[in-house]
Amino acid sequence: MESSYLIEANNLAYKINEVKLFTNFSFSLKAGEALHIKGSNGSGKSTLIRILCGITPSSKGKVYKKDELVFSYLGHKNALKTYLSVRDNISLLGLSDHEGLESLLSLLDLSEKLDVIVANLSFGQQKKVALLRIFLTGADLILLDEPFVGLDSNSHDLLCKFLEKKLHAGSGLIYTSHIPTGIRSKDITLD
Amino acid sequence: MNILLLLKNEALKLVKKTRAWLGPILIFILIMVAFPLTIELTSNNLSDAFYPVLFISILLVMMLATEGIFLEDYEDGTLELFLISKKSLSQWVFLKIFMHWLLIGVPISLLGAFFNLGANNDLSSSLMIFPALLIATYIFLILFCFGNSLSLTKGSALGTLITLPLTLPILVILGKLNTAIIFNINYFEFLILIFGVLSIIIFAFPAIISRIIKTHLE
Repeated sequence: MESSYLIEANNLAYKINEVKLFTNFSFSLKAGEALHIKGSNGSGKSTLIRILCGITPSSKGKVYKKDELVFSYLGHKNALKTYLSVRDNISLLGLSDHEGLESLLSLLDLSEKLDVIVANLSFGQQKKVALLRIFLTGADLILLDEPFVGLDSNSHDLLCKFLEKKLHAGSGLIYTSHIPTGIRSKDITLD
Repeated sequence: MNILLLLKNEALKLVKKTRAWLGPILIFILIMVAFPLTIELTSNNLSDAFYPVLFISILLVMMLATEGIFLEDYEDGTLELFLISKKSLSQWVFLKIFMHWLLIGVPISLLGAFFNLGANNDLSSSLMIFPALLIATYIFLILFCFGNSLSLTKGSALGTLITLPLTLPILVILGKLNTAIIFNINYFEFLILIFGVLSIIIFAFPAIISRIIKTHLE
């Protein structure tokens, strides 16, 4: 793997119950680049992201990551405790003392919701709480699986701006989305 | 994420889910209070039957306490995040079990010793049964957690069925310990024996459980 690459995938393949989801999938991503994984439902986009994260092992091929690569991931599950307040969920992540927390909470319109139980928030608001983690961690690589689902237009724009800022700062981005984002990225389609 | 933060997180999650820790404790109290009402109230009958009922109720209550112990973290994606954070999953399992023991096992052991005082009217036997209960609750918790991890996506009943035979040797030792307390012979030998069992499984099982959970996540 070239030293300038954050992550590189070589001939990745995944099959489940002898059904092939994708084969010979290769790409490489440098700092400041974005990769948009496209494909129809069930084409294996989420599985691919999970393989890149190291959660699911691939059936074939290999993923190379830069040494000590820090990455953050947001999948379909928000990793929120619905019986806890927003404040408690933030403290579970160890982010309560983060200097950028206050401004982000107000930017995401969550300041008034700090003591609300997560179960009482809307889907979109829950998504915003989950996104806080992505916003606050200084990751070299961000992996997002359908991050725009459930977000209103303001939050959508905010997320796009944030991701572009991160790209500009040298982070990498890999994401799946059915919603147009406007983020400059390489497109790869799984069929 | 350090150990203290993990412990604090597990404590926060468990304390806020009142039914998860209060439910088993209340059921234990209910069994302990209801059991003397169901037998003839002579003090001999009561003390003879007390220990078996105590041990079986602890077994059942620990089974209840571990129901779905990993399911929530599995379903809401917390485990996925933990896995990619490169932190030790077995350490997390160990701390989770420890926190359950602290909030459920320890109070139940205290209550067990207290109810023993009521049933046998003997402080020394209560002091002897207390450490045995502390160890037994921890062992049962670990074993049922193992069962729960095996049947993480299939419901806890299957895991419990698989694990139940593993608890039988512990029940046998506890039965012997009961005799040892009554006749005041070989008490420490049996206590050391169950402590020996605990010292083996306390670190081995979290490693096994974490491997099983990882397989489920894949």
